[in-house]
Amino acid sequence: MIKLVESKGVEVAAKEVDVVTTGTLGAMCSSGAVINLGHSDPPIKINRAWINDVEVSHPGAAVDLYIGATQMSETRPFEYGGGHVIEDLVDGKEVELRATAYGTDCYPRTRLETTLTKDDLNQFYLLNFRNCYQRYVCATNSRDEIIYTYMGKLLPHFGNATFSGSGQLNPLMKDPDYETIGVGTRIFLGGAQGYVIGEGTQHDPSNSSGTIMVRGDCKKMNSEFVRGASYAKYGTTLYVGIGIPIPILNEGLAKKASLRDEAIYTNVVDYGVPRRDRPKLRRVNYEELKSGKIIINGKDIKVSCLSSLKGAKLVAKTLKSWIEDSAFFLTASVERLPRDVSFKPMKQTKEVTFIESLSHPAITCREDESVKAIADLIIMHSVNHIVVVDEEGRLKGIVTSWDVTKAVANGKDKLADIITRRVFTTKPDEPVEVASRKLAQHGISALPVINRDGKVSGIITAEDISKLLRR
Amino acid sequence: MVKVLLHFSEKIASQPITSQVIIEQGTTINILSARVDQQGGEMLVEIPDEYAEKMIEAFRKKGVKLEIPKLIEVDKDRCFDCGACVSLCPVKVISCGEDDSVVFAEDRCLGSTCGLCVDACPVRAIKLVL
Repeated sequence: MIKLVESKGVEVAAKEVDVVTTGTLGAMCSSGAVINLGHSDPPIKINRAWINDVEVSHPGAAVDLYIGATQMSETRPFEYGGGHVIEDLVDGKEVELRATAYGTDCYPRTRLETTLTKDDLNQFYLLNFRNCYQRYVCATNSRDEIIYTYMGKLLPHFGNATFSGSGQLNPLMKDPDYETIGVGTRIFLGGAQGYVIGEGTQHDPSNSSGTIMVRGDCKKMNSEFVRGASYAKYGTTLYVGIGIPIPILNEGLAKKASLRDEAIYTNVVDYGVPRRDRPKLRRVNYEELKSGKIIINGKDIKVSCLSSLKGAKLVAKTLKSWIEDSAFFLTASVERLPRDVSFKPMKQTKEVTFIESLSHPAITCREDESVKAIADLIIMHSVNHIVVVDEEGRLKGIVTSWDVTKAVANGKDKLADIITRRVFTTKPDEPVEVASRKLAQHGISALPVINRDGKVSGIITAEDISKLLRR
Repeated sequence: MVKVLLHFSEKIASQPITSQVIIEQGTTINILSARVDQQGGEMLVEIPDEYAEKMIEAFRKKGVKLEIPKLIEVDKDRCFDCGACVSLCPVKVISCGEDDSVVFAEDRCLGSTCGLCVDACPVRAIKLVL
């Protein structure tokens, strides 16, 4: 389509092309499956249930369950989750169900254990409430440590970048005003035919970030396009293959469907800042992203896609062959996806507490002081942490009362030998939750506070944070 | 070329052993990655085939422990070409092929001295193996 529009123009392309097929195969966390187990004898009104040790929720009557893709196994967390349960079932594998209940006069049973395959289920439908983002950001990391995110593993100091989505092959990008996509649009879903049932949650059309809600029969799906996955230290998810046919009804649609990667822009965003509004570093188009390299701060950074571009092409190709073989018929949507909704942030009733309000002056010393002098400081000020600074007040390291005790036990008297030089720090405008996670994650008890000039402006300790929680 | 992983204990970490072996044996080695500090560390090197035996012996005599490093093994059936590993590879072993396949040039891999890609694979298709 793109080549045809470029060589012969929109008018010819609109006449010659009937349908453009699109595709994506990416991690879609807001996915899951509804299953109906049928009734046991005596019957049970399930209260809690687990499949292969993954808790599945019980949203309805007695034996309807929802397998959420991101729910993790209680015995193998971060390795196996709801996404894997769905894949295993789609694959025809047997899974173990365990359930408990409180028991009623009509549903007396309180415990249940059995094994199941998809053939034993009455209904087994993929019911995904947010899939197929029109476009998504490119993620990178400014911190001095590796971070593990839903955008994959991000190396320190902008060591790499990741993105998602298939750009010019992305279904919602080919019909960006949702002229043909809406409730009732028949689509390729997980290797079978499914339907769009409405806009997805967090649908954000004004930001070119539309989403869809979809439904499809898992019993007919293929695990090549429904893959359980786990992101290290983040959690589990489900990769879903989705393809949407775009009927080229007029020249306008032909033009929109011929949009190229180089015209589809997104932002490079710093995931090193764990806030709702993460800093945007630059704009980038999908052509650059697919080249494997982008420039950030004048430096070449390796970038790769988290969703399978090869899989996306296979989805679009498969859908094309179905249409050509008359195995798939396009539908007209009964209602277009909305274009007038916005994606609001959460209403919060409690204000965020920042480090600024907790920080107090740090007791500091210079690197050339003796261990004895540090011991005196610790006693005089009744503190456990002494921050080592240079003449301009810049951080050089930290010494704790434990370090001093150890130095005395080992007969060391030079401060330089016992300083911890790799110090985790915080900033006055960092939320307390973020600092608290740093303490827990690294097993430490204090963070020097560094101001905008790069100087030590204070310190916060684990004790300060626990006092805050008791307030 | 023979790929060898050298282990330096705390005792010998501050000695210029690698330079000594290179001077004594009169041949060069290719240092692929190194992580050595005062507490000891590891270095992954490539030694030309014809010198391998003599060099390995020379390192051993100086107290260096040697082993053949673990490299990565990719389960092609599990891999579905997502690309989560590609941007993490520091030595261009992993790249995107013509047809958007994820391609591994395993022979250049730094193996267990790097391993950045291993836990990043969403379907656990990459393993370190001997």
